[in-house]
Amino acid sequence: MFYRELLIPLLNPFSEEAKKIVQSSPPLYSLPPELIQEVLNRLSRPVPSLFTDKKLVEREVLSFYLACAGVASVSHPYSSEARLLENAVKVTIKGRMFELFKKGYEDCCLEAVRSFIKIEPILGRTIRGKEIPEKDYFRLRDRELQRLGLLGKEVDERVLLQCIPKYAIRWADLSPLLEHNRLRLSDLYLVEGWAAISPSELWHLYSEFIAVKTEEYLEDVQEKLSQVKPPPLFVEVGTQISQLVPKEKEWKLVAVKRGKLKPELFPPCIKKALQGCPAGIRNFAVSFLLTSFLSYARISPSGKPDPRIKDFVEDLSVLTDEIIPMIYEAAERCHPPLFSDQPQEKANIWYHLGFGLTEHPKLEDSGKSKWYRTPNCQKIKIQAPALCEPDEYCAHIKNPLTYYYRRLVEAKHAVQRSNTGGEEDLL
Amino acid sequence: MQFREATPEERRIYYSEEWGGRRELPDYILHTLSLREFGFDHDGSGPNDRKNQFLTVEQLENYIRTKYPYSVYVSVAQYERPSQMSGWLKAELAFDVDAKDLPVKNCCEKGQVCEKCLEEARRVVSMIGDVLRSDLGLRELRYSYSGRGFHLRVLDEAVQKMDSTARAEVVSYVIGGVVPSDLTLSLGYSKVFRTYAARILERLDERALLEGGIRKAVVTAIMQKKREVISSLAAGRIEEIRGIEGIGEKTFLKLMDLLARLNSEQEDSRVTVDTRRILRLPSTLHSGVSMKCVEIRDINKFSLDQAIPKFVSERSGS
Repeated sequence: MFYRELLIPLLNPFSEEAKKIVQSSPPLYSLPPELIQEVLNRLSRPVPSLFTDKKLVEREVLSFYLACAGVASVSHPYSSEARLLENAVKVTIKGRMFELFKKGYEDCCLEAVRSFIKIEPILGRTIRGKEIPEKDYFRLRDRELQRLGLLGKEVDERVLLQCIPKYAIRWADLSPLLEHNRLRLSDLYLVEGWAAISPSELWHLYSEFIAVKTEEYLEDVQEKLSQVKPPPLFVEVGTQISQLVPKEKEWKLVAVKRGKLKPELFPPCIKKALQGCPAGIRNFAVSFLLTSFLSYARISPSGKPDPRIKDFVEDLSVLTDEIIPMIYEAAERCHPPLFSDQPQEKANIWYHLGFGLTEHPKLEDSGKSKWYRTPNCQKIKIQAPALCEPDEYCAHIKNPLTYYYRRLVEAKHAVQRSNTGGEEDLL
Repeated sequence: MQFREATPEERRIYYSEEWGGRRELPDYILHTLSLREFGFDHDGSGPNDRKNQFLTVEQLENYIRTKYPYSVYVSVAQYERPSQMSGWLKAELAFDVDAKDLPVKNCCEKGQVCEKCLEEARRVVSMIGDVLRSDLGLRELRYSYSGRGFHLRVLDEAVQKMDSTARAEVVSYVIGGVVPSDLTLSLGYSKVFRTYAARILERLDERALLEGGIRKAVVTAIMQKKREVISSLAAGRIEEIRGIEGIGEKTFLKLMDLLARLNSEQEDSRVTVDTRRILRLPSTLHSGVSMKCVEIRDINKFSLDQAIPKFVSERSGS
């Protein structure tokens, strides 16, 4: 028998019930060190445990907040450590929802959901007076089975039921998921402002929701801890969490080193921008997209939250001899040529490289402005849709730089596989 | 109709004799006037005079009547301090369909505007409004004619706090900008995409399909059965399209990608995602074409005559 008061904080660590637990406990930094092991367990092997003992629920909530404080103490919000924690949260919450539905605690789950999202049952296949065709019902079920990797496989009747639309949720309440790129609006089946979703989708969306809340909370804690010296317990927890980040993942993220550019591995949008662009998009394509992409791809800064070019190069030759000529040539290929009517854009390029608004920079000027990061695919699609013609490598890529790095790594693997014995200058 | 530039004297006459000021300003602007940023283009070089704030409508009226600017703009956003563009409170979700930038034009050159492509732009903005209502359940929609196209502002509170990324998702949905995971569903995004895609395909010629990277043999096959292809696409009978010789999985996806790209080019998504954008103030003059930017009560009954200033009628009458 589970009690509502104990289930809500397990489903929503940001609920009033969970906050009360934290408020009535000793400060997080003074918690007993043996809790560290619980935090590490929660991250390394997330288990959707459900408890009937109040003390265990309290420890669960406290270990969540300690994990957040630890991660925020040693890394930035979008670090591998943060991703590890968010992923553990998702797995745990989704698993708990699944278990509770199975055990007949659907109402309690819906109560947790309702603290963020309006949800109603779908009655008679009708949403807001509009009937969903039967054919769509089954197509939606199959789509969900496909998402779960179960389409075409023999599945239990109960699993099928979990994949059939049962609830209507208000799409606008899902805007945090849209804002964090965790949901495509076009993936929802929308009728009159409400999305038809199955229990399985509900567990998924709700767990994503809590992951977003965790991400936002981590940002807050990170900001607060950046002003002070983090307590030793937090640093200890954070350091141990860092060691849990899978080495393979770490390597994939940071293995790319500084090196000559390989234009043949550039994504389609960059290749197109290098060929020159028409008037409507040339400023974005040249001054912003190419400038940021080529500089980051060539210099590959790492280990600093706000990098400056001068921290990674000894002189400006890498820019003046390699990157700037490529940008200027692309500008010349624009129609009309970019600098012919907008010569001030030359200074803008240096501005985006972090040297302030100048045409004659010195290395020490680096840091006068921000070194602009490469815009995400989403932004490119919006600012210059004509540049976005995805190829087969673009699937699941959110930033052109990731595309390039991934292809560099793949190329390195290919070289290793071919066992030529020579040292390829790829990375 | 000739879209000719207005002279400074015509602008002065318009604002002193014809412009109704407060009477013609939309309610949603009047009620939030002091929270909005106003921008002005004084000489046709662009809205360089920004970050203006007016505490009363009289101040705004006096300013416009005295300066008779080339163009007047107002922010979609509301701020605590509009004169600094700081303290962002919220922003209308805005859509901009410009007749000169429609991706498929069979009337005049790209970059030009004629009555035909204005009518086309009106239909697109009307379709966007339909999707916002039927799928997204939004109700507070305000249309205006912008001089070269149409603006649609959504005032529902549910969308006004959304950031650019969420707005990008909305625009992608309402214009059919991505290929859906299931093309056959009767309602929802699948239907939205198909409706736009079928409409675009209807207007595409052989050259456009070839330029879109579709093989010549396939283009020929599509053009021969264009009616059937459009009807199958609109109805979600995808297998019928795949049944055409030469259209394998890869080609089909290429065709859908092309249609999704053209769909997305029907609206200027940069406007929609920009939460600090300024748009032409309804009731003011688009001096580049000598037309009034007017609020539209019923987009399906809009006629260009509503936007012709008196000085233009007199100009053509004389």
